[in-house]
Order: sequence, then C-alpha cells, then structure tokens
Amino acid sequence: MSADFDVCVIGSGAGGGPMAYELALAGHSVVVLEKGPWLRENDFYKDDLACCRRDVYTPLLREEQHVLEERDSDQRWQRTPTSVSGRSFWNGSCVGGSSNFMSGYFHRLKPVDFRLLSAFGPIAGANIVDWPIGYDDLEPYYEKVERVVGVSGRAAPGSRAEPRSTDDFPYPPTAEHPVSAWIDQACEELGFHSLRVPRAILSEPALGRRSCEYSGYCGSYGCASGAKGSARAALLDRAVATGRCEIRAHAKVSRLASDPKGRILHAEYFDGEGRTHRVDARIYVVACQAVETARLLLASAGPKCRRGLANNQGQVGRDLIFSAGGSGSGDLAFDGLDPERIAEIRLLGPFVNRALDDWYVIEDKQLGRIKGGIVELLWSHPNAFGRAFRAMRGRGGRLLWGTALKRNLELWFRQDRTLNFEVFNDWLPTDDCFVALDDRVEDKWGSPVARIRLGAHPHDLKVGRYLAEKGEQLLGKLGAVRIGSSISSSPPPNLVAGGCRFGTDPSSSVLDPDCRTHEVENLFVTDGSFMPTGGSVPFTWTIYANAFRVADQVKAQLGAIGPIGA
Amino acid sequence: MAVLLRVPAVVAEPSAAVLATLARAQEHLLPSEPGAPGAREIRALEYLRFVLADKRVDAEERELLLAGAASLDRLSLKVEGADFIALDAEGRERVLQRMIDEPHGELWISTLIVYLLEALLCAPAYGGNPEAIGWHWLEHRPGFPLPDTDHIYPKLAL
Repeated sequence: MSADFDVCVIGSGAGGGPMAYELALAGHSVVVLEKGPWLRENDFYKDDLACCRRDVYTPLLREEQHVLEERDSDQRWQRTPTSVSGRSFWNGSCVGGSSNFMSGYFHRLKPVDFRLLSAFGPIAGANIVDWPIGYDDLEPYYEKVERVVGVSGRAAPGSRAEPRSTDDFPYPPTAEHPVSAWIDQACEELGFHSLRVPRAILSEPALGRRSCEYSGYCGSYGCASGAKGSARAALLDRAVATGRCEIRAHAKVSRLASDPKGRILHAEYFDGEGRTHRVDARIYVVACQAVETARLLLASAGPKCRRGLANNQGQVGRDLIFSAGGSGSGDLAFDGLDPERIAEIRLLGPFVNRALDDWYVIEDKQLGRIKGGIVELLWSHPNAFGRAFRAMRGRGGRLLWGTALKRNLELWFRQDRTLNFEVFNDWLPTDDCFVALDDRVEDKWGSPVARIRLGAHPHDLKVGRYLAEKGEQLLGKLGAVRIGSSISSSPPPNLVAGGCRFGTDPSSSVLDPDCRTHEVENLFVTDGSFMPTGGSVPFTWTIYANAFRVADQVKAQLGAIGPIGA
Repeated sequence: MAVLLRVPAVVAEPSAAVLATLARAQEHLLPSEPGAPGAREIRALEYLRFVLADKRVDAEERELLLAGAASLDRLSLKVEGADFIALDAEGRERVLQRMIDEPHGELWISTLIVYLLEALLCAPAYGGNPEAIGWHWLEHRPGFPLPDTDHIYPKLAL
C-alpha cells in the first residue's frame, strides 16, 4: 500500500508538535495540517490591540464559533452561539497553536493525580477514574520536555516535590522580580511554602533559540525572541529543518474518511481559498485541542463508525474537563512608600515565578482529606486597555467622561500595581460537561460547530474557595489593599482536556493506554483529550510529555509495518 | 467544490458631517488639558477612521458608531436648536446627558469612549497615541518590540 506520508498530524500545538518532531527526526515523513496561519517570530509584537482587543490569533466568530450550553437561573440548559454572546471559546489558531500564547507556567502532575479515585474515593456525580498509567511512566517524558522544549527552573526537593530522574533543570530559573523575595518572606511568616515555578521559557540562549528578553509582556502575546517553548519554536521549526516534515497552514480538516474495517483512508481538508484536498498516510494523529478533536471525530462517521469515528461506544466528547478555580487580586499601593520601593514594584520584565502547593492535598477538619490544588502568583496582565476600561465607570457604575474620566484614569494607572493569584484545582468530570455536534449552527465551510455543555461539579467550587482564602491571606501579608477573589464554575477555555479519555476498557474510554483509539488502529489522539482527570495545575507540560510518550508508540507501530512505499 | 472564502471588505468612508460630529463628541468626552492629552492630541478621529475601516471590527459596531452620531445631531437640534458641533461645552454636555436616555444612547457613548481609550493607549503605528503621548501621561510602560506601520495586525498574513 502506498501513502503520501507516514504520518498525518492534524493540529500543531502541544499535542501535535512532539509527534511531528519525534517522527521527522526518526526518519519518517510527516505532514502537519493546521487550520490557522503560519506566523513566525518576526510576526509577533507586543501589540495590545492585536492580542487583547481584536483577538487576531483566533477565528472571527461570525465565521467559526461554538455553541455554549449553560444552566439558566431555572436550572434549564440554554444554548448560546458565541457569535451572539461575543464570548470566544477559541485559543491560539495558528502553527504552534495556543502554546504560542501561553505564559509557560510549567508544572508536572503529581503522582497522586494519576490515581485520584484510589487516593480519595468516589464523589457522587463525578466520573472519577484512575489513569491507566502512573507517574513513573510519564516521568522520563517530563524530563525530555525539559531538555527538548526547554524548561527553566531549579529543583527543590521536598515532601511535595514530584520525583525526578535528573538532579536539576537543564536551564537556570528566569530572572525574578523583587516581589518574589517578598512573597518568600511573607510565606515564611505565614508558615506557607513558596514554590519556585518552572517556566517553559529559555533563561539563556539554547536549542537554536534566543533567551527571554524580559519585556514583561508574555502570556497572551506571541514570543518575538523564540524563548517561549511553543510547539512551533521548540519543535516544528526543527522538524521542518529535517526536510521530512511538511506543514500545511490554512488547512482545515473537515473529515477523516474510513473504510468498512474502520481504518482511516484519508483526511479531507479545505485550503485557505476554500478548495478541498485529500491527504493519506499510514497513521493519523489528531491533536486539535479537546473540543475540536471531539468535533472532528464526531463529524467523521464511516461504514464501521456510524456515530462518529471511534465512537461506537458513545464515548467521544464525554467527560470534557477544564481547570477549575478562579482568581484573586490585591493592590500594592504606592502611597506612603519610598521611591525605591515604588520603583521595585513598578519594575517590568522579570517574572514572579511563585506558587503555593501546600494544599495540593487538603487535610481539613471540616472538609476532611480531599484533593486540593495550587495558588499561582503573577502580576496583573500588562495590557493597558484592561485598566483603562475599568476606569470608565465611577460609583454606582456611572459612565464617566470629561475630566472625571481623566482623573479616574490617572488613579487606575498611577496609584498602585495589582498582584494577582490564580487558583488551579481539579475540574471533576461529569455527565454535564461534554462536546456534541450542534444541529443548527455551522461554520463557514458548512460543517456543524461544536456544542459544549459546561456543567461543573459543586465540589470544584468548594475546593477553589478554600485555596482562594489562602491566596487572599498571602496578599494581606504582603500589605496589599482592595483584596478580593472570584471562584467560578465558568471555565477558562485555554485549559481544556478530556473528551477522548484513555483507559483499558473500550466501553468507557476512547483511547487505549497508548492513546491509540480502541476502534481505529491507525488513529492516535495526542492533545489533552486523553486525560480522564486533569490534575490541579496547568497541564500543558503533561500534554507535551504524553505526546512524546505516544510518539514512541507510533514509531514502534510504523517500524512494524515497514517503510513507506512497501 | 471550490468555495471562495475571502471576501474583500469594502467600507464606505463616513460623510464629512458625521466625522465632524464624532470629532466634537470625542473632544468633549476626552477634553484637552495642559499635561493631560485629550482627543485632539491623541489623534482620536484619525484612529477612529482606522477602526471604521477595519474588517475585524463588527459591522454592527460600525453601524452603531455612525448611526449614533446621526442620532446625536437630531437630539441636539431638538434639545438645543442647533447642530452638535455648533454648541458650546455646556450645550454639548446637556445633549450628551440626554443621549444616555435615548435608545442605545449609553451604548453609543461608551463605545465611543472605548475607542478613545484605544487611541490613547494603542501602539502609535495604529494612528493614535502619537509619540506615545498617552503612555507618557499615564506612566504606562509598553512591551517590546512594538509594531511599526508595516506590522500592524491588518498587514499580518492571517
């Protein structure tokens, strides 16, 4: 049998990048189909309008959207197209995906995350299961990500530290802001443990990339130096350099066609001009981010899979998860401080790099022993528009203009700097959080869009509030004023997983432990879809690590079927 | 079947009268002061023209901005007996305060303010915030690199 390529990778983010890199370096031919454009370092600027006002790195909602399903005040599910609400549920849509725009807070899952059911028992209404692999299976790949993608940090052994196979990170920590030392001091006084957060940002030139230039504008912005470990900068550029990896941008895959045995025959895609194409390969890897991965499989019914590819058991799209939690903030006011201290607070560039993981497992008299999470510290987003728009309204929400608006702007910009915290805890999988094909709304190519039901388990809020109180306590110790927090069951779309969970039982999982679909032998899924539970940290590092792990399986399968053209 | 997806955006230039009303409203909403730039200094109208021609800005938003200017002029004639641009500051304030109670009136004013603030704080390559005058006033430090006029987002190969 002949094929255009050994492997066709659909989606080029943290799930697709490692696959293209590993297989191209191993001598296989790879095509990567990416819906969005191919932007390089010299296309990325610290452009607040592009990043934060016009969302230029994601599709126009009038052309491509989602339908979000949430409960109304009467507890009935209400569907709202995002083109109506204006609430975009997209992340980065370009070569490298949303990893181009991440902040790069890199945390490994902890061993307990792999056995949530065994460690904490069931919770009514939550579909909690243990993973079919353990931490030890993934550890070598976490380590590989440190080296290949580039993770900067310093190992600090302790009772909560994840086991490591190497003594330390390959790159020293990125430069740190003066407030980091203040946080350490405040934590010591409170009896908290201040964790130095590893970053997927190069602290020194390496891997053919420049080091961080410390502009102070990182998360939400594309990296102009190449220091950020996006799938594009860290992996795809190097895969292409082998001469064996072809990236086709503006290639929107609409369907995977399969034969009566359930094997994929080819991928069908639209190019940027709306023309249709086909590409065939020996193995297909889907990594479009969890929502779009489920959507593509559901839209790819075939003679053996009439309910959607790999969906004869009705599992595709189920148990979608996010990162639960929320955020809080406090203002470090300049009033009364000496100029040197003010200058330290205002310093822009170095990173805070601090988190609290004391309550990763909560032992509390009232709550008992339950799974907790982390509190991540960071400065408020640097873009100017967020602050300016908050200055538009005065007391009682009254719209301000004229000199009243100008005086309020001066207050918002000049009197303090806001230190934020973000809470990350498990988003428990439930029957009320899933992806389906919408029966009314289509995208610009005429394909049904994904409908996402966004039900959250009340347990998530309980844990989030517990952690937010700790964050507020820390901000208070730092002398912040106007401290507050918000824990919400409305998920952030940038950390999404599940929908094709892996497991050993084909009746309750889509993927086997190697992330090959139970039903389609030449189909793997390598974005966050495989995760049955998400841990209590941002999980990008885990997606990278797992994709490297699965790449070894794909290499083994390709080795078994021989070279292309045979 | 081939489908042409890229539809060039053809956006007609607003009339001079509408632009004049918009400019006067902008100057009232963000007035000039010594040491604190207003709509005129931040080139708010020039920036708004960029917004009105930008295909990433929803057509509904563009319609709102233009129809609101026409509504303001009608209200001005009704309340003050003169075009908005002919009114003194007190007259303009009275009309804008009345505008809040008109259908979509507050939305129109707040939208105009949003684009004023964009003009105040955007990268200068977009036409507003000349020589970073807005950033200097509010002591805001931008990131780097900043886009030049060849690298603003309408010129990205998206």
